[in-house]
Amino acid sequence: MWYEKEGNNMDVVLSTKIVLNRNIKGFPFPPKMSDADRENVLGMARQAAGTMGLNFVRTDELEDNAKEDLYNQFYAGYAFLNSNAKTGYLMSKTEGLGVIINNTDHISIVSMVPGTDVVTAYKRADDLAVQFEKSMDIAYTDKFGFLTSQIKSVGTGMQLMMTLALPGIEKTEGAVQVLAKRVEKYDWQMIPMTHSDGIRENGIYVLTNVATLGITEQEIIDKTRKVQEDIIKLENSCRKNICTKKKGVVEDQYYRAYATLSYCRRIETAEALTLINWLRLGQNYIDTSDADLDWNKINKLTQKVRRNYTDSAVKGVRPKDRASARAAFIRDIMKGGQAS
Amino acid sequence: MAMRCSRCGAQIGNSYVRFNGVLLCEDCARELKIDEVFRRQNSIFDQAFPMLDEFPGVFSAGSDLDFANAKIRCPRCGTTLRDIESGGQLGCIECYNTFNESIMKNILKRQGSSEYMGRKPGEAADVKGEAKQGTPVQETAQVKPEIKEESKAPEANNDDILTKMKDADLSTFTDQEIEDAMKKAAAAEDYSLAVKLRDELKSRKEGN
Repeated sequence: MWYEKEGNNMDVVLSTKIVLNRNIKGFPFPPKMSDADRENVLGMARQAAGTMGLNFVRTDELEDNAKEDLYNQFYAGYAFLNSNAKTGYLMSKTEGLGVIINNTDHISIVSMVPGTDVVTAYKRADDLAVQFEKSMDIAYTDKFGFLTSQIKSVGTGMQLMMTLALPGIEKTEGAVQVLAKRVEKYDWQMIPMTHSDGIRENGIYVLTNVATLGITEQEIIDKTRKVQEDIIKLENSCRKNICTKKKGVVEDQYYRAYATLSYCRRIETAEALTLINWLRLGQNYIDTSDADLDWNKINKLTQKVRRNYTDSAVKGVRPKDRASARAAFIRDIMKGGQAS
Repeated sequence: MAMRCSRCGAQIGNSYVRFNGVLLCEDCARELKIDEVFRRQNSIFDQAFPMLDEFPGVFSAGSDLDFANAKIRCPRCGTTLRDIESGGQLGCIECYNTFNESIMKNILKRQGSSEYMGRKPGEAADVKGEAKQGTPVQETAQVKPEIKEESKAPEANNDDILTKMKDADLSTFTDQEIEDAMKKAAAAEDYSLAVKLRDELKSRKEGN
């Protein structure tokens, strides 16, 4: 999985994701498309996929295990994968890269990397975008740039999202507000990660760019790197401060979290994430010699607990069975297994 | 604080219309053909002896105005102005022509400038920056962020930094960079820039 690879500063920035949205002239945007239009766009995407070395799949023909893979690796959302609205997906051989067809826009190129490497994420997505633009008549005007179905992404058509684990900032009074104001200055927005059912992921935040029109791609990338630097600095200083001033509390909570995650038999997502936050908070700043734990394990735990296809499935699995299955893969990761 | 029209930005006097949470001046309301409330008010004031029971009806007519947004439609896909204002969702390319420039500008205010500055179709953006991959995460605490290297590089030439700071959007610089540049500007006796940088730092601290 792409997020299990090593990336820069993954103790704070779990992943960086770029979405480039493009639309084809002659068709309404997906929410207003007829079935015939949707079929036409799918046909064009299939043709383009052949020349670009991508694999085309219709989502209504996807097997459950393929949906699970795409969902668990953050390539596409549950609703998209389970809708019958004539949507498609183009799979790339490059991990973390794919194309969503007929969702909010005709073409949404998704590029994800672990950590902070925004340049690699952008270049991968941009390469594909240029190929689409050369092979199709893409909606573009000199005034508005790339025309998208959402006003918020018109212009570069670029949405940049960073998933951040900020237990230090969250546990420091007023620090979340300070950071939120700070990122606003860069024209960014920071929001706590929340599921569609309203459950918040403790300590996990998403940072997204706001400006897409009066700004170049290079400027978005530059601002991203500045924002990353500020956040990493602030989070590390908060972690260090807490671990220095409340060393006993953090050590106690760290080892309690370690033991619970290592031996639990049933556990809910919220509780698991709260415990993982303690591990993340103390990992670099307290004596962890009694625990067999590294950042790879912590990051893998975080991503797998956050994104589990069976958790999102409305029917089929009882809550207590989900809690048991979750506990089983957590124990496996804590022991150093793959838990795949 | 004076209220301003959400469409043209002009200061609003006594006559204004609020619909779907958007505040419009009388001129804009007339341009968008949702000025019925003004016409009815005038007709009532023109009468020598208006019926008293007409007043409440005239001045509560604002609630009817919500429906005006549903009347401005894209001829190709049927998307209404209300759809756009409520969800930011357009139906087709023609929507960009249908909903006139000033309204689009108003909506695009959220994004900053309304002038496109990105790359053209088919031309790859020349994005610069180190694309490092695979730094062991265990070393994170010791690894300096790439950006640090970049900010140190131009130190050799003070003039370059000061020229850059003069023209650039200061929000793209970190506190440390601005503080360094402020000291250099003061040393180079460029006091106007030093004051500008000092004010930026001050506003950041107050903002925090």
